[in-house]
Parts: sequence; C-alpha cells; structure tokens
Amino acid sequence: MLFHTWTFALFFLVFYPVYLAIKGTRLRTPWLLLASYVFYGWWNPLYLLLIVWSTSVDYFAVIGMSRSRRRAPWLVASLVNNLGLLGFFKYGEFVAGNVNSLLIWLGLPYEVPMPDVLLPVGISFYVFQSMSYTIDFYRGNVDREPSFVRYATFVSLFPQLVAGPIERAKNLLPQLQREPRIAMADVADGLSLFVVGLFKKVALADYLALYVDPIYGSPGEHQAPALALATFAFAWQIYFDFSGYTDMARGVGRIMGIRLMLNFNNPYLATGLGDFWRRWHISLSSWFRDYVYIPLGGSRRGTRNTYRNICLTMLVSGLWHGAAWTFVVWGALHALGYSATRTLELSSFYRNRVPALAKQAGTFLFVTLTWVFFRAESLSDAWLILTRIAEFGWADPACPLLLLALIAAVWIYQYVHESRAGWILRPAPVRIGLVAAMLLYVSLFAASSDQAFIYFQF
Amino acid sequence: MHKPVPAESDRPTVGGEPEAPFSSNAVRLSPGEWMVALLLTGLAIHLIPAAWRRAEPLEAGADYRVPYRLSNDYWLAARYFGEACARDKALVLGDSVVWGHYVGTAGTLSHYLNEAWGEDRFANLGIDGIHPVALAGLVEHYGGAISGRDVILHGNFLWMSSKRHDLQVTKEFTFNHPSLVPQFWPRIPCYRESLSGRLGIVVGRAVPFLGWTKHVEIAYFDNADLARWTIAHPYANPGARITFALPSPDEPPSPEPVAKPWTERGIRRFSPDWVALETSLQWRSLRRTIEILRRRGNRVFVVIGPFNEHMLTDASLAVYRQRKQEAETWLRDRGVPCTIPAVLPSEVYADASHPLSEGYRLLAQRLADDEAFRAFTGMRGQ
Repeated sequence: MLFHTWTFALFFLVFYPVYLAIKGTRLRTPWLLLASYVFYGWWNPLYLLLIVWSTSVDYFAVIGMSRSRRRAPWLVASLVNNLGLLGFFKYGEFVAGNVNSLLIWLGLPYEVPMPDVLLPVGISFYVFQSMSYTIDFYRGNVDREPSFVRYATFVSLFPQLVAGPIERAKNLLPQLQREPRIAMADVADGLSLFVVGLFKKVALADYLALYVDPIYGSPGEHQAPALALATFAFAWQIYFDFSGYTDMARGVGRIMGIRLMLNFNNPYLATGLGDFWRRWHISLSSWFRDYVYIPLGGSRRGTRNTYRNICLTMLVSGLWHGAAWTFVVWGALHALGYSATRTLELSSFYRNRVPALAKQAGTFLFVTLTWVFFRAESLSDAWLILTRIAEFGWADPACPLLLLALIAAVWIYQYVHESRAGWILRPAPVRIGLVAAMLLYVSLFAASSDQAFIYFQF
Repeated sequence: MHKPVPAESDRPTVGGEPEAPFSSNAVRLSPGEWMVALLLTGLAIHLIPAAWRRAEPLEAGADYRVPYRLSNDYWLAARYFGEACARDKALVLGDSVVWGHYVGTAGTLSHYLNEAWGEDRFANLGIDGIHPVALAGLVEHYGGAISGRDVILHGNFLWMSSKRHDLQVTKEFTFNHPSLVPQFWPRIPCYRESLSGRLGIVVGRAVPFLGWTKHVEIAYFDNADLARWTIAHPYANPGARITFALPSPDEPPSPEPVAKPWTERGIRRFSPDWVALETSLQWRSLRRTIEILRRRGNRVFVVIGPFNEHMLTDASLAVYRQRKQEAETWLRDRGVPCTIPAVLPSEVYADASHPLSEGYRLLAQRLADDEAFRAFTGMRGQ
C-alpha cells in the first residue's frame, strides 16, 4: 500500500476515526498493530510471518537478557536471527551467484543452488529498527518493553514501516506508551508534511523517472548529454522519491500524534561529504554511526583506524542498499571521497575561504557521479555510462525543459530557505500560495502512476 | 561523523522531550492557514472548469457528435449532453452505430432523422466504442443533464454475441471505456484494475475537475499527462498546445474505416455464440440505462438493431430472432415503447451492426414510418 494511492486514502479513512475514538483506551495499541499488519500484509500476507518472527525473537531475546546474568548470548541470538534473515532474503542470491562464478573460475564442477525467494518489502528497515532495540537494551540505553503488542507495534508502525525513518526505541516506544495528544496544529503540521512529500513523489520523482528509466535501461543507445542529464536527473529523482516518502510518513505520524525523526535536510546544499551524510537518510547514517562506526572504535584510536572505520562503515552502508557489486562500489567511492576530503573539510581554509556555492557544487558533483553506480543495472553499465560521459560524444539529449526548470525551482527554493533571504519564504501568503500551487499541480499535471518508491527495494 | 543537524525547531520540547525538527523547508501551515489554502484550492478547482467552458467554444450544430478523438472525454460528453438538452432536442443515445463509425456527420442516423422530420430535432449522443455496460455508467455519472427529455436509446445485439463481448470471460482483456463500467458490483470477471485504480475512477466521477484535467489531456496533449507529453516533446511549449479549438466531429476514426459494404471487404458469414438475455451483463446494463433515464423523468424509446442478419448462419439467425423476441417482450411488458426495425439490405451494411450512409437513410425512413416511433416523437403523417 503506497501513501500516494487511493487505497491508502481509504485505509486511513477507516483507520483514523477509530484511532481518534479509542486513543485514550487500551485498544489503541492493538488497533495500531492491526492497522500496521493490514498495511504491510497488503503487499503479500506471507510477509507478516517474517515480521512476526523477527519481532518475537527480539522481544524474547530482551526478556532473556533481563532475566539472565549473561546478556551476550541473547544479543548474539538476536543479531544472528536478524542478520540471518537479511542475509538469506536479501543477500542469498548475491552470495550464491558470486560463489558460483568463483567455482566456475576455479574450474570446480559444483553449483550452489540459487535461493528462489521474494525479497520482503522494507525488511532492511524493520530489521534494523528491531535490532537497535536489543542492542540498546544490552547497552542499558532503553528499558524493556513489557507488552508484546506494543513492541510489535514499534517494529511495524505503518507510517515508517517500509522505508523509514528507522526509529529508535528510545524515541518511539515512549510515544506508543502514552496517549497521543493530537491538537489541530498537529493535524495541520501533518498535512503540511504530507503535501510536500506528495508533491515531491508524484510531481517530481515520478516525472524524473520517465526521463531516467529509459536511458539507464539501455545506456549503450545514448551519448554523453543524455547520460549526464539522466544522471543529474536521477540524483534529484532519488532525493525527491525517498525524502518525499519520509515526508509523507512523518506527516501521517504527526496526524496520529507520533513524532518521527527528520530524515533529510536539504542534502544537495551540503558543503562536503561529511555534511552530506549528516543531511541524507539521517536515520540510517546515525544508525551506522551508533551501531557500526562507534563500536569499531570511531575516531578514538588514531587516524589510521578512524579512516579504516569510516571506510568499513561506508562499505557496509553501500551493501545495505542492495545486494550487488554496484552498491559496494558506490559505498567504496563515498568511503574514498570522504576519507580524502575529511581533513580538508575540517580545515579553516575550506570552511572560511572557499565560497559556499563552490563547496556545494563540488559535493553535488561527486555525489551525482557516484549515483551512476547506484542506479546502473551492472558495473559494466556504470562504466559504460561514465566513459560515454567522458568522451563528450554529442547527440540530442531530448531532456524536457520543464523538468530542468522544476529542478532549478526546487534548488533555488532550498538555497533561499537556508540563506539569509529565507525570510522571503516565511510570510503566510507565500506558504499558503505554495501549498495551494502544489495541490493544484499534483491534481493537474502529475504523471498518473502508482509507481513504487525506490527505497522499497532495500 | 554522522551527527544529524536539525534544520529548524519551532517547538523545542514536547512533554519535556526534545522535539524532532519539523522539516527542511518552510512549508508549514497553521490550521487557519490550511483553511485558507483549501478554500483557495477549492475555488480554483471549482472555477477553472467553469472558466474553461467560456474560453473553449463547443459549436454543437445540428449534426454534432462527440469527436472520435474525444471518445473517452466524459467531461466533454457531459458538457455536450447539457447543451443538447438546453436546446430541447430529442436525444439519440447509443454506441458507434448511433455515432456513425463509417460515416461523416451528414451520414448518421440523427442526420437522416432530422431530414425526415424536416427540422433540427434529433441530437447525436452516440459515443464511438461504447457498449451498454459503459453507456449505463456514462448516463449515470455524466448524464445528469439528461432529464425530462425524449431519449431514443439504441440497443446493439452485437454486445451479446459472445461471452467476450458480454464481458463474461474470466481472462483479462482490454475493452473500451473501462472507467465507465461498475468498479465493484456487479463484478466483471475480465476487468482486473487495482483497488487503487478503481477508487480513483470512482473519485474521478464525482469530481468534475478531474474529468476536466482528462479533457485537457485528451483534447490537447495526445491523451497523455503533461509529464509524459513533455518527455515525448522535450522542447515544445505546452502552453502553445492549448488552442481552445476542439477537433472536428467529422474527423474520421483512426485507423480510418473502409466505408464499403461488408461483402466487398472480405468479411464472411459467422455464427455468434449468443449469450442468453437473462445472464447477459450487457442486456442488464441496457435495462439499467432505461431505468436511470426514466427515473430522471425522461421518456425513453428503444430501437434494437437492425443487426446485419445477412452475416449470420441459419442456425445463428434462429437464435438471434429468439433473443430479439425476448427483448421486445421484456420491453413491452414494462411499458417501454420500442421498435425492432426489419433488417436492411445487405449492401448497406459495413459490418455486423454498422450501416453505411444509405443504411442510415433507410433506417431513419423506417423509423419515420413506424407507428410507435411516430407516436413517441409526436410526428405527424407526411
């Protein structure tokens, strides 16, 4: 069930009045859980078996930890279970394929059977969310949640279930424990977030996809201008798609009286790669910081180890996004880029002397080039795209001017918003005009599609 | 590394806990501001289609019909229905037989009826490609203007000539006007639209603005939304496409049909697997159309066929005649005036159900001679 479909509208119209009516009673959490499972099971009811299993194991692992002197085995059980699920469903085919390639290369007459399984939507998100609870409990950062139903609701809460933000138990569980206070301002805020997200997804991301998909589908048929523009367009498509989803998720949460964390903060205005990762998919970046980077030693054990930890974290982050070498290379490029520029970013020269626009342009250029690996179907496609772009061969890119104008308008909006001239955007008539314009634009001109969100596949 | 930087936080704490930053943009409205924004949007949604009607002339002259290219443009159809009703015309409602698939506007049934009556009396409300199930939807959802009128409803038995025509097969296939058919009940087994798509269609029927956006797409953007149109025409100015000039009703269908007798087109006799009337969805829908029209205070006269009986094998012809008889009985039992004109000469048919221009002339003449039809239309003897 996608936020921008009529099915979701109907689902929410049924869910919300009941939720409002029972939010002060003990029925609130079971109702939330039921709604979340209906929302998730809408894709495929079999997915529910997996999420219930994952939830149960972590719930009982924490009970085990709380009742046992030796906590570590319970944590290991939780980690093995979660990573095992992720490994089997997400990486099984990737691993088997690579093992088979190696066996062929070695001339060994054996073939590992390919696991023929469906990747459950959003598994990377809820597994990480559930895993953070057991780790945080192990570290003593959160209390044990006594109610299984509430814990299951925490793992499966439908606004953020399939594509984040990846919430922490410390933020979300207390909100589920108390009666939500829903003022008119919350509904207004939720609607504001939802409309912006809807506009990003329906009017922008899906429009950009119409240009990007055919070009990346057959890169060999295109020359430098089309490939460069498609890469540029994809950089914005993935931003609008993913941040649009999280805006809508946060909006729906807000309407329900639940505050979900900010996940994107104008990442293409970042002035360096470190800054970029503080603005892009913040919930995942902070997850890797807290559960991978810091446990590896963070920046506490000297420069060499710091860079090693950065690189390992980035590589794991790349692999989290997808079971393919393209994602590994994407992560590796970010690791290299960040390692190479980290000292520079911290220097006073870079911070004070280099114009902000130049820093933003450089960061954007690097991030956009790495998206080639993220979006390409294979490493050979990615290489072909990059070499074609470098060769400067000419052919009409056939890129709609309206598409470029929309990107420019959004960039200017974000730039003004973060600049000293941001006050221009604050007066009520401007904000009201923007909302009305977005609503009209979505109904008038948006590509009529039920396209799924890019990040669902992760 | 990776320390989130809050963009802005208008409310620093919630229940003593740090508040999540609201967003990375300034689009945040208070409840009052939302009311204003919704009011503005609502006004725009209400006013734009109304203003458009003024800007875009619909020159619905004597022989006007909904242009072929706009066959799926139900907003325009509703507009045309309203204009035809406002001019106090008798409305000839039906599928491509009424529309005139093989003929220009001066060769249609309504044209020859007007000629026979000697006045501009009949309006062609046929829609190319529509079938009774969709026609019932068109009348129900877009034909609100048709009330208190004389309606001549054409019934075409072609739609009952097989389970497939009757939309009763279980295998999914693409049929015309899916957004006019019932979305939930009665269930159409070959129609597999997603729940979201069905809900969208139901909402679209209730919001004229959405119908208007489809009108703009169909009339000016090659039936594509703006996004897809700009992909196909990257450097063109979409604004320049809005000419406020609708296609001509004389524009032929695409591909252009060969207006020759069926015998010259290599079409063979056939033996349809007629669906029984009591189980036919199309027949039930025709009955529903009659009910809707009558409920709205219209007088309804039904014309069945004439189907091209020359194309039928003997065995099939016998079944067809039985169906015809059953239909007539049903209509007469319920007090619905009707006629089933005798089959036209073979050479005036272009296919199984569409007459050529001469066929329409003959049919109009037969109707003019039909006592029940004359009584219905108040036509005096000539």
